[in-house]
Amino acid sequence: MDQPPILEARDLKAYYITEAFGVRRTVKAVDGVSLAIRPGEIYGIAGESGCGKSTLLKMLLGEFEPPLTPVEGSVTYDFGEGQHDALDMSEGEVTATRWSRVSYVPQGSMHVLNPVRRIGDTFHDFISTHQPMSRRQTNERVAAYLAEFGLREGVLRAFPHQLSGGMRQRVTIALATILSPKLIFADEPTTALDVVVQRGVIQLLKRIQRDHGSTLVLITHDMGVQANLADRIAVLYAGKLVEEADTRTIFKAPRHPYTQHLIGSLPTLEDKVARVSLPGRPPALDDPPSGCRFHPRCPYAMEVCKTIVPPLVTLEGGHRAACHLITGETDHAAATSPALA
Amino acid sequence: MTLFKEYIFPRLIQWVIVIFIGVSLTFLIPRMSPINPIDQAMGRLTAFQTLSPEATLALRQSLMDLYGLDGSLFSQYVNFWGRVLRGDLGPSFSAFPTTVTEMIGSAIWWTIGLLGLSTVIAWTLGLVLGALAGYFPDRWWSKVLENTLVSIYPIPYYIVAFILLMLFTYYLPIFPLVGGSRGAPGFSWSYLSSLVYYGFLPALSLVIGATAFRFIMSKALAGTERTSDYVRFAEIAALPKRKIVFRYVIRNTMLPQVTDLALSLAAIFEGALITEVVFGYPGLGYLLLNAINASDYNMIMGITLLSIVGIATASLLIDLCYPLIDPRVRYR
Repeated sequence: MDQPPILEARDLKAYYITEAFGVRRTVKAVDGVSLAIRPGEIYGIAGESGCGKSTLLKMLLGEFEPPLTPVEGSVTYDFGEGQHDALDMSEGEVTATRWSRVSYVPQGSMHVLNPVRRIGDTFHDFISTHQPMSRRQTNERVAAYLAEFGLREGVLRAFPHQLSGGMRQRVTIALATILSPKLIFADEPTTALDVVVQRGVIQLLKRIQRDHGSTLVLITHDMGVQANLADRIAVLYAGKLVEEADTRTIFKAPRHPYTQHLIGSLPTLEDKVARVSLPGRPPALDDPPSGCRFHPRCPYAMEVCKTIVPPLVTLEGGHRAACHLITGETDHAAATSPALA
Repeated sequence: MTLFKEYIFPRLIQWVIVIFIGVSLTFLIPRMSPINPIDQAMGRLTAFQTLSPEATLALRQSLMDLYGLDGSLFSQYVNFWGRVLRGDLGPSFSAFPTTVTEMIGSAIWWTIGLLGLSTVIAWTLGLVLGALAGYFPDRWWSKVLENTLVSIYPIPYYIVAFILLMLFTYYLPIFPLVGGSRGAPGFSWSYLSSLVYYGFLPALSLVIGATAFRFIMSKALAGTERTSDYVRFAEIAALPKRKIVFRYVIRNTMLPQVTDLALSLAAIFEGALITEVVFGYPGLGYLLLNAINASDYNMIMGITLLSIVGIATASLLIDLCYPLIDPRVRYR
């Protein structure tokens, strides 16, 4: 708890700025997100499609190119030897940071492996970029590592199309984690996999995180996977962080109406009632609603929600939420408590 | 073994069938033409002298024998195959009694040298430049390259050839106007350097257009590869750009481009008509043009047969090489 965060974003704003025929268009995909990820935890980032998850991930990785532009704020890594700015790394710093410290498990492994290269060659490409190593050494190391994943050495000589979907996903995870990175980003690692393979992948990620003592940042819209893996969950809506708490609190006592709907949409074994879905869709981010961005869809929307952006307030136990219902409550409590005393 | 049975064998059969049909058509088409080569040859021979009727008949008979026009269509066909398989394509009509095989044999090396080299150079250059420009579309050099080559590409080939010819043999007489070499053939420095000196302009004219075409193809293919998942993943893993361009981008754009390379190498056997005529280069194209002008049927047929066999064989070779280039073909 007292360790400095391994990854910290401060008031991060990242916009897609495009200009065509003199018309400037700004899409505010990430708009003022602050979060701090502690070493060794599994931090989930949730939210529906189009809420800025992928953009936030690109910024946290420091892997962005125009039109995506960091406008304000900062992202810093701290691997126990001082802070690094993740948004302004030189090519050499990127090479030094990636894979040995910060790694990335991509979404869907169908096409992330070069189809014309043997698995062993791909491993050698990735490893030798970061650690000078002979072909023999990488082969030995990779074979040993793959064995932990239940993959035979023969996989090294195979081409990607010769492997099943589940094997390919395991190979990809192995490729991303072989250098024992301290910080792993997993982008929808279970999406597009069947449930049996999903379960294997979840267990694998959990084991790697435990064995290497790494920090895992899990980006997925799938609240079931979040519940299974994450220690803490942040909920994004329309480019803003609307709620963040430990997993139990998010599921048992969500405060933000959006989170409540997200949780409420999950089926449970007992009840047989149709799930209530939230009408509407996330707003277009080139012209987000004024005030609270959720107000057009919010069943509890008040006048104040249409004009004033609710601040992210910290509740007990580090639980953070941004909603006028809560702001009102804390204001009220603050205003009334002296009178009671 | 299954590789042979399921992949190689059907392609060998296909190769045999294509050549069989091609050779048969080459046999049939001139025989369906209303022009009788014997009458033409007789006309040429008797234009300036009169022959006795016996001599005319004897001459006609020996020409029929010589050109394989004796007997029924079927026996002609069987004889024709026999001669093709022996490599005997008969005498050239216009350069009688030199055989077609001999004449093609001396012209073909010029064409293979000129076209083979310029095709390979243009292909490699276009492939690499195109892939670099496709992978780095925002760099200034990539834009300069693209604009230049896209402007050059639509210019008709003969205009490019004539411009080069005028510029470098007339206004700036650096290169020779006609010919293929100078001095006695042999492994001497002066002979070999004259080959390069005489071949430079025709080769350059071919390389310019072919490079522009290959560049456009390669750039488009590399542009799609650039956004593919495996290239993005390799970039996030900070692999060196050089490795990404060559082993990830180019390697994946190779398959259609290798097909193109093989087909254009096969087309060498048709000769480069315009190039060889414009630059007076003694290759197959020049030979073909002369044969057409002189109604030299045997020669035309000889060059046609050569190109049929050449293209069919090249296609067979590409098919056989696919498994080496694309591992996905191996286990169909």
